[in-house]
Amino acid sequence: MRAKWSMREILLAATPIAVAVFVFGASFGVLAVAAHLPAWSVVLMSMLVFAGSAQFAALGVIAAGGSVLTAIFAGALLNLRFIATGIAVAGSLPGGRLLRSLLAQLSIDESYAMSVRAGAPGPPDGRTLIVTGACLYVVWIAGTLMGALLGPVLGDPKRLGLDAAFPAGFVALLWPMLSGRHAVRCAIGGAAVALALAPFTPPGVPLAGAAVVGLWLAR
Amino acid sequence: MAGPLALALVLGLASLSFIMRATGALLPNLPSAVTERTGGLAPALLAALVAIQLTGPNGLIHLDVKVPAVVVAALLATLRAPFIVCVVAGAVVAALLRAVFHL
Repeated sequence: MRAKWSMREILLAATPIAVAVFVFGASFGVLAVAAHLPAWSVVLMSMLVFAGSAQFAALGVIAAGGSVLTAIFAGALLNLRFIATGIAVAGSLPGGRLLRSLLAQLSIDESYAMSVRAGAPGPPDGRTLIVTGACLYVVWIAGTLMGALLGPVLGDPKRLGLDAAFPAGFVALLWPMLSGRHAVRCAIGGAAVALALAPFTPPGVPLAGAAVVGLWLAR
Repeated sequence: MAGPLALALVLGLASLSFIMRATGALLPNLPSAVTERTGGLAPALLAALVAIQLTGPNGLIHLDVKVPAVVVAALLATLRAPFIVCVVAGAVVAALLRAVFHL
């Protein structure tokens, strides 16, 4: 058994993921500007939030005419899973609590998955998380910036079908998560509850209902 | 969206995300029964977001170009197409149907 991945191995494994993250960032930038968010706030969001699905979810709420509070709520709920991944990686990160809290900000789905793969069969590898997370952080912001600059050049968002990009994107984020019975029933339950609540409740409530169902059906 | 509102959105989401990622380093001994359940949130919420995106202003499913767009994206995702391919295909399907049928 090998002790650790070399820096070269980490970077090689991170390269294809970095390309995907760049393109994901660019599509987020384009859609965010099309949803009338100021370009600076779009880039700032990628710098400070660094979580594709949460940013996408918040943006989807805004694009559909929802309030800022509902958008924050939707994004934050999606990020709750980082509590679990944060606990998993905490022991592998260097430094005291402050440094570890800061380094934990580099965890996104992709960097976490890489650290798990690098550390297997042991706990997640902290160095892989830091290196991959830092690379993806830079690429995520660069992609967002490119999308935000490119967005206004593209033209009328609705004529380009960009409103349909949101549900299509959510499906694309959801599908790889549907491994295992629990995830499938969480997804079906979440969608069913959201649809049942949507005609009678203000925006945000259907998502809260889906979150409760997700927590309930998770095990 | 006005600047201050956009800033509120960014800072609100950023601070909550920061706290969630820092929790592991600050409170590493949360009971696993709690943390295991957070795994159910992402699929439930993403599925709910898909569903909500397909509803109209009255909250009922609204049959428009977004429905075939989602079906195409789901098919591509099943074939393990990359994220951007699913998104662009969904947008193209919607744009084409709008252009051809004036929906």
